[in-house]
Amino acid sequence: MDVSISILSQVAFWGLYSGCIYILLATGLNLIFGVMKIVNFAHGEFLMLGTYITFFLFVITGFNPYVLLIGSVPVLIVAGVIVERLCFRPILGTGKLNEIFISLGLIYIFQNMVALIWTDEWRSMKSPFSDITIALGPVQLPLDYLIIIVVTAVILVLLHFFLKRTPIGKAIRATSQNRKGAMLMGINVEKINMLTFGIGAGLAGAAGTLWAVSGQVFNPYMGSIPAIKGFAIIILGGLGSIPGAIVGGLAIGMVENFTAFTLGGSWKDAVSFILLIIILVVKPTGLFGEDEE
Amino acid sequence: MNTSLFRDPLTLATAIVVLIAFLIPLFVGSNLYYLTVLVLMLIFIIYASAWNFLTFSGQGSLGHAAFFGLGAYGASLMAARLGLPSILTLLFGGIFAAVIGVLIGLTCVRLREWFLAMVTFGFAVIIQTLVVSQLAPVTGGWDGFPVPKLVPSGIQGSLMIEYYIILIITIATIILFRWLLKSRIGLALAAIRENEIEARAAGINPVPFKLFAFGVSAFFAGIAGSLEIAHFGYVTPEIFGIDLSFWPIIYSITGGLGTLAGPVIGTIVVTLLWDGLNAMGLTYARFIIIGVLLVLIIIFLPKGLVSLPAEIRKRMKRKDT
Repeated sequence: MDVSISILSQVAFWGLYSGCIYILLATGLNLIFGVMKIVNFAHGEFLMLGTYITFFLFVITGFNPYVLLIGSVPVLIVAGVIVERLCFRPILGTGKLNEIFISLGLIYIFQNMVALIWTDEWRSMKSPFSDITIALGPVQLPLDYLIIIVVTAVILVLLHFFLKRTPIGKAIRATSQNRKGAMLMGINVEKINMLTFGIGAGLAGAAGTLWAVSGQVFNPYMGSIPAIKGFAIIILGGLGSIPGAIVGGLAIGMVENFTAFTLGGSWKDAVSFILLIIILVVKPTGLFGEDEE
Repeated sequence: MNTSLFRDPLTLATAIVVLIAFLIPLFVGSNLYYLTVLVLMLIFIIYASAWNFLTFSGQGSLGHAAFFGLGAYGASLMAARLGLPSILTLLFGGIFAAVIGVLIGLTCVRLREWFLAMVTFGFAVIIQTLVVSQLAPVTGGWDGFPVPKLVPSGIQGSLMIEYYIILIITIATIILFRWLLKSRIGLALAAIRENEIEARAAGINPVPFKLFAFGVSAFFAGIAGSLEIAHFGYVTPEIFGIDLSFWPIIYSITGGLGTLAGPVIGTIVVTLLWDGLNAMGLTYARFIIIGVLLVLIIIFLPKGLVSLPAEIRKRMKRKDT
């Protein structure tokens, strides 16, 4: 009995840590959706790009991979700004299907540019702390996972203050609450679109760094599934709600790890879709979504 | 035949395309590589047309590989385990995909746009997971299993016979889609697509029509899937992959969404481009080129290649004035 409790809390802890990566993805998606009312299915590609940039910087500089967040986040912010300006701005307001289709094009472009540079074999990197575990009662917690949870929390707190206190953050919130009103108040909403998209991509980049540091394998095609889980989370937690994304992310992380533990590893991805489908069957606009019509 | 029929440029063009499709094996038939490209092109024309049919009802799918693969597995299991000829199991593959398609459709009819996109994507992942885990004793898991070919490869000119069989199926499919869209069902679908609330007000219950569109689309996607497997002679769960869900979308958008000719033109153009780039030895770069093409078409030619003549005429007129 004692053993099973320790195993269960171990699984719960894994869920907590993998939930962190989903939270970062979902928060970015949420911000972008709030401001632009679009969905970027290629969001997972920013995560993938983040892992590769971390990997690349780690190989050439040898710095502690957590420090490399300073590299991956700004690069991804720039990438996000460019993608928004070139691809999403021209199709804004031309129908919801177009944004899905344009993301398909972006998925192909990003995946294969990375494959062209770094080939498409599976890669992984080793964190300097990978051998250290901390005993907490009967549970052995890898230090890396603890750091990842703390880093995620710090990023979310910083984001919170950015949105609440700075002028740009306030403009982002204003735009997402009422686009026309924000425009009338002299906010350049197109600039806010670009910035928000950049921040969203930057959060995905941070998630990418954490993904690589945690020792999980990655290849150029790994981004799609986590991104779709990000959507599942924002449907679960409510569109535009950041606390919702945190709760949803942790829920998906937990459910996934418990399923993998009970039904076997191959169900790890499918279970979040089953959850998503059940929710949408019961409530087609999402758990906290409002009816549009 | 009525000669005035051929005064309509569209009918004329269609007739020419069909004629070329029938004659082309006589010129390239000796080259098995070209013939294979043509066979696969036809299969994907059916698949893309099936995907495109769903958009006529205002729905969309990011997971059509689910139906493509279900058809393939349904037909292959019948052919491999019961020893029935492939040409019969084909139909079963389509029906199997349609039944599951309607069941999946039941969860989707109330969803809009990207909720729908995600749920359909999710079903493809769930079905693939089932096939490789719980159903592995029947399906052979990740390894898959060999399937009898559509036309046994021992027969002289088997690939050529296969081409003509598939060509006839393709033409029949497109004629059927055309007939469906012209019928009252097609009008009801158009009404639902344009404005679901007004359609309801006009006395059309959208649910059965949307389910019908889902079923028909899944049926033909299933047929295409079983044809592909009967062509290759081997089935693996990779048939449920994300790529196979994306291809019909890329073909339809390139050609022109919501038109009958769109998926056909799109499939031909993109497949030729794809194989051309392949022949040039580009492996990853061809995906990048296709991706850039897709983005450019969505931004600059949102109605696809079929609208190109009209667009050019419009530009010319603007220049004149």
